[in-house]
Amino acid sequence: MDVKPGAVAAGGDAAAGLISSPNWITSRLDDLVNWSRANSLWPMPFFPACCAIEFMATAASRYDISRFGMERLGYTPRQADVLICAGRVPFKLAPMLRRIWDQMPQPKWCISVGACASSGGIFDTYAMVQGIDAIIPVDVYIPGCPPRPEGILYGIMLLQKKIKGESILDPTLRVEQLPDERGMFLRPAAVDELSEPFGNSVHQTRSA
Amino acid sequence: MNGASPNPSAAALQARFGGAIVGASVSCGDTIVVVARERAHEILRWLKETPGEAYDYLVDVTAVEYRDRERPLEVVYQLWSLPRRVFLRLKVELPKQEPLAVDSVVDLWRGADWLEREVYDMFGIAFRGHPDLRRILMWDGYAEGHPLRKDFPLRGRFSRAEQVRQALTKTPEAHHSVEELAVAEAFQQLSNDARQKLERAGGPGGA
Ligand code: SF4
Repeated sequence: MDVKPGAVAAGGDAAAGLISSPNWITSRLDDLVNWSRANSLWPMPFFPACCAIEFMATAASRYDISRFGMERLGYTPRQADVLICAGRVPFKLAPMLRRIWDQMPQPKWCISVGACASSGGIFDTYAMVQGIDAIIPVDVYIPGCPPRPEGILYGIMLLQKKIKGESILDPTLRVEQLPDERGMFLRPAAVDELSEPFGNSVHQTRSA
Repeated sequence: MNGASPNPSAAALQARFGGAIVGASVSCGDTIVVVARERAHEILRWLKETPGEAYDYLVDVTAVEYRDRERPLEVVYQLWSLPRRVFLRLKVELPKQEPLAVDSVVDLWRGADWLEREVYDMFGIAFRGHPDLRRILMWDGYAEGHPLRKDFPLRGRFSRAEQVRQALTKTPEAHHSVEELAVAEAFQQLSNDARQKLERAGGPGGA
């Protein structure tokens, strides 16, 4: 759904006023679009580590994510809506994660499953990305090491809730993020701040 | 299995190489022989090829750096004799004042290839004569040093932002290429019958 309010308004007819500002028709359309998107999320599983096991349990019959319209795991980024990153991401894997995200067509969302994907978890080391939000934008963080399937389901429901609050009139939602001249997607200071240790690990020393 | 008595190979080494044997000890039932760096390759070859020793399987090559900064680094070879079913551990000491280098044993055991690359990657120890001494766990061009050295900070030397930048700007294809993963060049090293079988099936040689 590619709606450019400016382009439509240039037409200068009644249709322009119809969808360039929120009204009864667009909010009904939002409801319909968001309802169908939220209930047919196709996940792209990106499973570098142990949290993946919990997602497998979530996908299997006991917890059964097909209740959420999600049983079709993509395994190809080109036919997926939500990237589910379950596990720690080492720096060596960071460009692959970014590339998979870039290959996914809009609309797309991202769920970060577990402490490691969200913050680096116990791996506050030279090898590990301290939270995949330094690499790709994340919509829902699920805490836990690993989170239980109930936690993952709750995260999925939060994402559905978020999707149901979106509007086709918001031009900022579906914008692809491009790398800056340094090849990064966030300011270095923002990456440093996101990567700061928290909780117990602030008491660790910065040296070896 | 050996109990606390030393593996007889230690005495045999002592008799054969004398001055090249720096020391021998038994720890947790395993015999550990420390040998001189210059003759390590020769000693390993002897252990592998002498019928009475027959340590034909190289279980692991690894390295140790002790917290005591005065102590030398050690390269550790864990050997196993398949026919005789005995372990032997060989160590080579590398003082830190000298260049960290030791002769590669890839010519004796092909399996040492990646093991030595890992030691090089993590400790910066060069293996002379290694056919392809590159990093293996960290990527080529990793600029922060050798992570398992004691002077390496836990979180690396660069800021997190710089680490993310370096990670994002490298091209995965450059280091995870099809060529690197290809097995085509191993074809010539297969046994004759295996090669013929592959050729009949239209494998690398046939295609
Ligand atoms: S959060 Fe825990 S379970 Fe999940 S990847 Fe990290 S260590 Fe594994």
